[in-house]
Amino acid sequence: MSRVLAIAVREVRSYFQDRADLVFGLALPIAVFALMYGAFSGGSLFNGTAYIVNEDPDGAYSRLLIERLDAKENLTVTLLSREEAEAKLSDSDILLVSIIPEEFSDRLSQSWSTQITFRQRGNGGMEGQIVAGMVRGEADALSQELQAERQVRLALAASGIGGEQATTTVQGLLQREKEAPIITVKETSIGGEASLVHQFMPGIVSMFVLFAVTLGSRAIVEERKKGTLERLLSTRVTVSELFAGKFVAGAARGFSQTVILLALAYAVFRLFTPVSFLLMLVVALVFSIAASALSLVIASVSRNDDQAVSISVVFTMATVMLGGTFFEIPEGSFLEAIGRASVNTYVNRAFATATTPGSGLTSVAYELVVLAGIAAVALVLSRSLFRAVQGGR
Amino acid sequence: MPDAFLVADDLHKSFNGHKAVNGVSFSIEKGEIFGLLGPNGAGKTTTIRILSTVLPPDRGDVTIGGHSVRRDADAVRRLIGVCPQELAFYPDMSALENLVFFGRMVGLDGGEAKAQAVTYLDLMGLSERTRGKVDKFSGGMKRRVNLAIALMGHPQLLFLDEPTVGIDPQSRNMIYETIERLRDGGMTVLYTTHYMEEADRLCSRVAIMDGGKVVALDTPRGLKHLIGRSEKATLEDVFLKLTGRGLRD
Repeated sequence: MSRVLAIAVREVRSYFQDRADLVFGLALPIAVFALMYGAFSGGSLFNGTAYIVNEDPDGAYSRLLIERLDAKENLTVTLLSREEAEAKLSDSDILLVSIIPEEFSDRLSQSWSTQITFRQRGNGGMEGQIVAGMVRGEADALSQELQAERQVRLALAASGIGGEQATTTVQGLLQREKEAPIITVKETSIGGEASLVHQFMPGIVSMFVLFAVTLGSRAIVEERKKGTLERLLSTRVTVSELFAGKFVAGAARGFSQTVILLALAYAVFRLFTPVSFLLMLVVALVFSIAASALSLVIASVSRNDDQAVSISVVFTMATVMLGGTFFEIPEGSFLEAIGRASVNTYVNRAFATATTPGSGLTSVAYELVVLAGIAAVALVLSRSLFRAVQGGR
Repeated sequence: MPDAFLVADDLHKSFNGHKAVNGVSFSIEKGEIFGLLGPNGAGKTTTIRILSTVLPPDRGDVTIGGHSVRRDADAVRRLIGVCPQELAFYPDMSALENLVFFGRMVGLDGGEAKAQAVTYLDLMGLSERTRGKVDKFSGGMKRRVNLAIALMGHPQLLFLDEPTVGIDPQSRNMIYETIERLRDGGMTVLYTTHYMEEADRLCSRVAIMDGGKVVALDTPRGLKHLIGRSEKATLEDVFLKLTGRGLRD
């Protein structure tokens, strides 16, 4: 046991002394977290720009519509001339422009219908479609207000109530409705809050821990390169002790990396409660153990650095993709079926569950058992493969 | 041979059909420095890898101190120390840390490993640089660290595979003196080298290998007699006569 610990301590020390490994393992994920913070920390998930050509610049209603759009906190209004808009569309600088026609206010003031045009390249792009929806919604609201005002004015005309008073009353009622709407919308989500940080944080943490597989996979190759493998094999250390030392080192390295990332997530994004943070640490520990064991499987069959790195990269990218790190995998799909072979599927699910309020150890028990099983099988397999492939003890 | 500490008996080892070691047999007496010479590819290193339990032989067996490498490799490993041809240590660690680490690997506890490490670094003239990172050392110092690591655990049999390659005469001489001192202390040494004068100076007996076989085995003097003009002959003359002048690389 003391030899196992000596090997593990040497490995971990070497890792923390190697600047390249540190950058790869710690600085890079921290940088990704910083980028995520910059991108998603504003509270709103969508920030778009409405490009508008206002051919009715002096019209009251066109100005009102633009003011209302500009007042939306996640929308910026940029006014363009018709020529500028055409040039930008032509160069694909923008994908959708809303054009307010010249007679917009005049026609509305006479209760005649009018039309806003969405001029777009292709389908207008995702942002363009969202912005178009917002413009359409605001135009509909304005239209309904004007219709209601007109109907009320017509209805009250016979009773001698002036149009101005009718307008003021209707505007007041509409304002009251806006402040206390009759219909409200409530969002509830399954498997954690529906923010991008919640959606992608587990995948990013697990992805970087899994990248530690690349480092672990070089464990035996590095010893061979230094000539220390044969030297070690001529001492009293057994191959099982050597593997156990590498395994403990890999798990410790992965776990310490995860703790740092989770602590950052805790501090920056306020994703966890203290209880869910502890649960995340348990998941991270079991996952680090599984990742370390998997790296030994690659280490046991690799004869040089190139082989170790190539196999690791293919393995990690495949498991990251199939684990749903970058996109949601639809339930019941073929991808979901083969995704069950990916270690990331279980750890991502466990991380996501752990951040859901009310989750406990039993909520992630299945995933933890699967990860522990993967670790056990990988450890046995790596030892057998080393004997078979390397022709050694 | 009653005092034989190592007996290699009909060793065979092939790699992808190529016979690297083909029926090698010899014995080494306790307290002897035994030389194993041969051109590149003769099978010396493969033989050492078999003797040091790293590689199992396809056929044949080796007993060291009465223990078979096939049946009781762990007991053999308690008796041996290996100084490989390449520098085999961790360059990011200090000389002391390297020795302590390998001391732990041969079964020493932390305190004993440190005590032995200090002793052997002193023996190698490295007591001033024990805390220095090994990758900053000169070639000669690295060679001495490589040898010092092999001494951890006080092995009874020391395998030295070309321990003086690429170093200056001072470091080389120091290594010679250390090996002679270890021999005088009762250590048995198997020594491979391409420098014939080294073998002549250090070894009591020399085996010359070629093509995976031992082609001659005798004292340096006895080997020189083989070519009939022992007064003027050198071991290099014997070597070239037995193994030929053709290039092997």
